[in-house]
Amino acid sequence: MSNMNERSSRFAIKASVRGLAAVALLPLLLDGTVIAAAPPAPAAAAPEVASSDDKDWAPPGGRIGYVLWDEVSWGLRETPDKQECPHGFNIGPREQFSEEFPKDGKKRTLAETQLKREAAIWDPDTTPDEFPFYEATGKYAIGVNLDGKDTPEDFESDDGRKGIDNQLFRVVGCIRNYRKEGELGIITTKWRAQKPFNRVTFELSGVDSLKNDPDVTVSYYRTLDTLLAGPTGNYLPGGSQRIDERWGKRFIISAKGHIVDGVLETEPFKEIQVPEDGMGDPAINIFRSAQLRLKLTPKSAEGVLAGFIDVEQWYYAMNTSWATHHAAYGQASAASIYKALRRLADGYPDPETGQNTAISGAMDMRLTQVYVIHQEEDSAAAAQ
Amino acid sequence: MTGGAALAVTLLVATAVGALHGSGEPKSKGTPMSMRLLTQDQYLNTMAYVFGANVQPTTRFAALPRTDGLLASGASIAGLTDAQLETYQKTASKVASQVMSEDSRKYLVPCEPAAADAADAVCAKAFFEQVAPLLYRRTLSDDQIAAFVGAAGAAAASLHDFYQGLGVVLEGILISPNVLLVAEVGEPDPEHPGQLRLDRWSLATRLSLFLWNAAPDAELLNAAQSGALETDEGLAEQVDRMLASPRLETGVRALFDDMFAFEDFSRLAKDNTIYPNFTGETAVDAREQTLRTVVDHLITHRGDYRDLFTTRKTFMSPSLAPIYKVAAQGPGWTPYEFPADDPHAGLLTQVSFEALHSHPGRSSATLRGKALREVMLCQTVPRPPANVDFSKVQNPDGSVKTARERIAFHLQNASCAGCHRIMDPMGLSMEAFDGSGTFRHEENGVEIDTSGNLDGVEFKDIVGLGKALHDNPQVPWCAVRRTFAYGTGTAADSNDRRVLEHLSAEFADQGYVFPDLLRDVALSRAFRQVYEPKLRKTYPLPDLKSAERTQQRAAADALTVSANP
Repeated sequence: MSNMNERSSRFAIKASVRGLAAVALLPLLLDGTVIAAAPPAPAAAAPEVASSDDKDWAPPGGRIGYVLWDEVSWGLRETPDKQECPHGFNIGPREQFSEEFPKDGKKRTLAETQLKREAAIWDPDTTPDEFPFYEATGKYAIGVNLDGKDTPEDFESDDGRKGIDNQLFRVVGCIRNYRKEGELGIITTKWRAQKPFNRVTFELSGVDSLKNDPDVTVSYYRTLDTLLAGPTGNYLPGGSQRIDERWGKRFIISAKGHIVDGVLETEPFKEIQVPEDGMGDPAINIFRSAQLRLKLTPKSAEGVLAGFIDVEQWYYAMNTSWATHHAAYGQASAASIYKALRRLADGYPDPETGQNTAISGAMDMRLTQVYVIHQEEDSAAAAQ
Repeated sequence: MTGGAALAVTLLVATAVGALHGSGEPKSKGTPMSMRLLTQDQYLNTMAYVFGANVQPTTRFAALPRTDGLLASGASIAGLTDAQLETYQKTASKVASQVMSEDSRKYLVPCEPAAADAADAVCAKAFFEQVAPLLYRRTLSDDQIAAFVGAAGAAAASLHDFYQGLGVVLEGILISPNVLLVAEVGEPDPEHPGQLRLDRWSLATRLSLFLWNAAPDAELLNAAQSGALETDEGLAEQVDRMLASPRLETGVRALFDDMFAFEDFSRLAKDNTIYPNFTGETAVDAREQTLRTVVDHLITHRGDYRDLFTTRKTFMSPSLAPIYKVAAQGPGWTPYEFPADDPHAGLLTQVSFEALHSHPGRSSATLRGKALREVMLCQTVPRPPANVDFSKVQNPDGSVKTARERIAFHLQNASCAGCHRIMDPMGLSMEAFDGSGTFRHEENGVEIDTSGNLDGVEFKDIVGLGKALHDNPQVPWCAVRRTFAYGTGTAADSNDRRVLEHLSAEFADQGYVFPDLLRDVALSRAFRQVYEPKLRKTYPLPDLKSAERTQQRAAADALTVSANP
């Protein structure tokens, strides 16, 4: 295992190379005034964690897995007084419909009204939005500095990390559906936990200490098994997940990482694909140059999967996962979201058009410890 | 010593050994002829054999009283209530309707009637000749079959449905006392004048319930019918056939499920806020894990019975893996072997023992020690006095961290110490497992002292306790005692002592191979030899409902006459 200094310097060099590339590739698309929302006061002391969580600990064989069960949000940092949304929340499809087609006695055809709105969802464009769109603003956000730069459109994390890339927060931060009062967080978590299609697991290997280890390998897998459910609707550590090494081969990817004071940070994974099946029409969200930042314990992990998220895939997943009533009640206008996504996209420009195809963002998530079963272990068990 | 003298000594020793072992079975009274209830599993296994595995009615027979460590012994003293009869009747009705359903009748009724809406005596006869002997566990006379055919014909004519006619009579057969009750019949033993032996049908049933936990199959009934079962060779041939059958696994599972008192799993519950990993599925799998371990070790690998208490080989399921803090290799059961330095070794370290003998929210050294004594060693621990002060166990003193400290007063108080001295020293070594059966080093932050002793053998941890059990002569003796009592359906008593000692010696000589013990028991003379039990004379109260039941009793009598072979 490399020593800490070597590892740090290698990280720094790679980060600066990525930063240079990012400067060339990422147009600045920040608009509006930045209003700083101060970090919230520290929460009341959390209940004392299990003694085993406080101690330094090395997992058996240097390996520990964590399965994703809770999608907290799409990287939203919400303040109690909604400082990040100084203009309020965006209106949704019902309100937009009412504004566009007021009850003024004018006769309109179905094609001119509902079908026009439907077409705007399924065949969206980047023409200027007919409705005002309120982006989330402020100094702070959840996420990771993906490009190694601290530019004006970037945010700062609550723990003082600069250059946080999270333009997706600007898109969805002031849409009710994506906030705590919305229902997406609850339902995506339910789907994540209950639908085998959505099962993904990270495994750390080469771990000598879950508190501090300068060199670990993090692998990402699509896995096959149901979660270990507890009696009160939570999900428990100690389950097992078999890797889908057949149909899930394309999901498998690894990256190096390090653990400092119990927090894992990785180098970029080239691409992490996150399956998302909501209502039976499956989609895949793609995180390019993805990085993990997770607070680890022997029983759980929580933090973010950050990266440049493919805009078209994300938009498709949104439209196929969510029914009209979700969008209506959650005031999430797909057409307006698409325009904002394209407007704020900040990575992976199309070689031909030069338009960015990905937007920086983060999935705020919680995971629970699992044993990851590799194929060779399956074979060994069968041989027994 | 000359060659001749040496030969003489050798012969003398061989004769002495032969007298003690092998053919040297000591004389005994045998066991009492019993009348026992067919258990739920025996009933369902029989239905599965006669009609196929698809015919599995959902039912719940009444609980049996556990007697001398076995439900099988309790079945011979169980009563029969109106509510039980209702359950039997409902179950019989379900079986009959499943057998006669349009899908099943094609292969369960061996012929097609001339018309589906009328009686067909020929086809009905073929059906009853096939199934009735298997249900009554004996061959039936032509008159008895004719009675069934006649009743089925009358019902078919009345219901305008041949299959419903068969179903009505099948339902009647299934609630016949001769089907639901196993009434053993004795006959004079020609080889031992003055003694009784089981008649051929009773012997076939006793063998089949013992080894398969089901009624005899057609081949065993044929052997009984031909008289082969009454010869040593014929009996051995049938026993060997049954031991070689895959159905032996069902029988052995039933024996150990009974011996380990696993019916308690049906009412086992854990406090989910304390043990969130312990679910209903965990309990089901814990029972299954131990039965799989037993069958694999004893039957598949013909391993030493005593090694059950030290083996690290078992099977793992996704529900159990979190309790053991290991990975589950698959969605179902997979073989699993704990590493050599792991604290899990033997049945005592399995969830089935540790969780079953604990409280819902905490472990219990006393319950575990008691279970070890009673289940594994066939010893009896006296019941606690009525005035036990449990507040001492639930000591609220925060400085008392471990069970060893909490129950120390057991051994200091003379009225407690008498019994607790035989439970706590080994029960405390099992404190290495919490109430859900999960291994732990600490309790309330304090390292657990797992040392103890079993009948003078000191050990420092649970693995040591397993080894002490392995080497304890009471362990195989207990297995022999329970197996014999289970096989004969009556609690072992002092009459059986010499036979049990003989079987124990045989068991030891054969390397504690369990199928060999089953064979020895099944072929022993004591297994076949019976005597009239002493019946207590009772004076029943007058039946106050007689007047209003006259009609019902007449109907019941008529049914009994027609169904009684």
